[in-house]
Amino acid sequence: MNLSAAPTSAPAANAEPTQAIDVCDICYSYGDERVALDALSLQVLAGAIFGLLGPNGSGKSTLLSILIGRRTAASGTVMLLGQSLAPRLRGRMAIVFQEPSLDPNMTVRETMAMQGRMFGLKPRDAARETSTLLERLALADRASEMTATLSGGLKRRLELARALLTHPEVILLDEPTLALDPDSRHGLWQHLLAANRDGCTLLLATNDVHEAERYCQTVALLDRGRVVAQGAPGDLKRDLRRDAVRIEWKTDATPEVLTMQSWPGVGHVRLADRTTHVTVDAASPFLTRLFQASGDRVHSVQIEESTLEDVYFQLVGAGIRPPSDGIPRETAR
Amino acid sequence: MMQLEAIVALVARDLRSFLRSRSQLYSSVLFPLMLLAILGTGVSEGLDPKNIDDYVTFLTPGMIAMTTVFSSTFSSASYYQDRDSGILKVFLASPHSPRVVLLGKTLSAVIIGAAQGLIVLGVASAIPAINFHWQYGVVPSLLVSIFAIVMLNFFLSGLGQLLASRIRSMQGFHLVMNLVLFPFLFFSGAFFPLDKLPEWLKVLGRINPLSYGVDMMHLALYADGSGGYFGLPLDFAVLTLLAVAVFYIGTGRSVSPDR
Repeated sequence: MNLSAAPTSAPAANAEPTQAIDVCDICYSYGDERVALDALSLQVLAGAIFGLLGPNGSGKSTLLSILIGRRTAASGTVMLLGQSLAPRLRGRMAIVFQEPSLDPNMTVRETMAMQGRMFGLKPRDAARETSTLLERLALADRASEMTATLSGGLKRRLELARALLTHPEVILLDEPTLALDPDSRHGLWQHLLAANRDGCTLLLATNDVHEAERYCQTVALLDRGRVVAQGAPGDLKRDLRRDAVRIEWKTDATPEVLTMQSWPGVGHVRLADRTTHVTVDAASPFLTRLFQASGDRVHSVQIEESTLEDVYFQLVGAGIRPPSDGIPRETAR
Repeated sequence: MMQLEAIVALVARDLRSFLRSRSQLYSSVLFPLMLLAILGTGVSEGLDPKNIDDYVTFLTPGMIAMTTVFSSTFSSASYYQDRDSGILKVFLASPHSPRVVLLGKTLSAVIIGAAQGLIVLGVASAIPAINFHWQYGVVPSLLVSIFAIVMLNFFLSGLGQLLASRIRSMQGFHLVMNLVLFPFLFFSGAFFPLDKLPEWLKVLGRINPLSYGVDMMHLALYADGSGGYFGLPLDFAVLTLLAVAVFYIGTGRSVSPDR
């Protein structure tokens, strides 16, 4: 496990870039107070699926906005496809934004045509490619409809089709599956994986641990604008010594969870409805104490595989997902 | 070449959106004509202004200017719609500079505003109660009017973009535009001749960019053997200079899709 940002270096002159993205020591602040990126460095190999994993405010979206030229880093260097950032490079990349980004007054086909014209595609090529993509993403029968009439999942698919239209070498994905149902999420990823198989580099910003683990070959864990760890999900979890325990409670267990946080060997505690996810140094002594203290209230217990969220908690001392109701359910130990 | 294609695409998109918004299309043309009929007839018949000959015809250039004012306000406000829908971010993530994106949007505002102004001019010329004098001959007068309408739209659309860059909300934008543009309109000679005003109001008229456009149209359409308030050369020089300068500044501003 690499607990620090990977070392970076400028690509050799005249060499074919093997790094799609090379970010070195970049800093960015919103005003004088909030530091969004603090000497952040990372490298994304060409053809990789790379995940930026961190809670809201950790700098993921800021980094993406720098890569597409919406913001300029105060210091540091950014190389994209072996070159310094420039508007023309945006012709070789695409982005799927976190929030919807469709014109409600345009039809599906007009949306695609507009993208083609903005990126300098010949109308005939854009039309042919549009037909192929709409067919592949099951949008062909909605081609003449206004985008405002599409469901959330269809809008996301259209945004992906739009991104794929210009055959980008890099696609930036800012929480692309946010608010999608599991089927839509799975479907979207199948298209993204197909693009990746064709050689497209994917840079995914997310706070969905399972998505990052499942699809990314490399993940960088971000905390307050810094990379705290980077590596393959399996490698990052290998050095995690803690066990993960999932407890289903018969009734609301807020008092038990608050007590549990003070037990020795207990790390990350997360409560959602009547389910608690706990990382512990060792499962056996924890379970013994759990049943002694609250055995009659426990419905079931399951020892689980640790997730990247557990890794993140061990490194940062906080969870990736915020608690839903303000109860202090995550503690550093 | 690719930039030109992007600008054309942006203009075509805004024109299509405008044509699809029937209420905006109809109201922007009908409102000035309605005002022309009501205000023109009301003042002519009710107040019987002694020192304005043929008030309805006098009022027509002012109504054309008002059409461009409203049109530029609505068109500039589409910046906020694009920002809120997220499409502005998509345009800014294309391989073009923000200036290209703004140029496309502002040019579409100019075309829409000019087209609406010309429609009002066309409809007004067909109304029997309005007697244009075509002081320089029909075609030259028409060209002078078209020039004034187009330049006014360049100025107002540039101003709209300039204000949109500094005002966060669409509501605030409309408030400020009204605050700026209504005085522009009142002291432009659109509703009453500038030369009959007290001296301090004449000063406001002189520093008002709209006055030069209205004067130019008065010269072309209403005046008969008159040199106008400012005169055609001064109208031409000031209007061109202001239109080009404000349009350039307006389309050159920094664009943040977040505000």
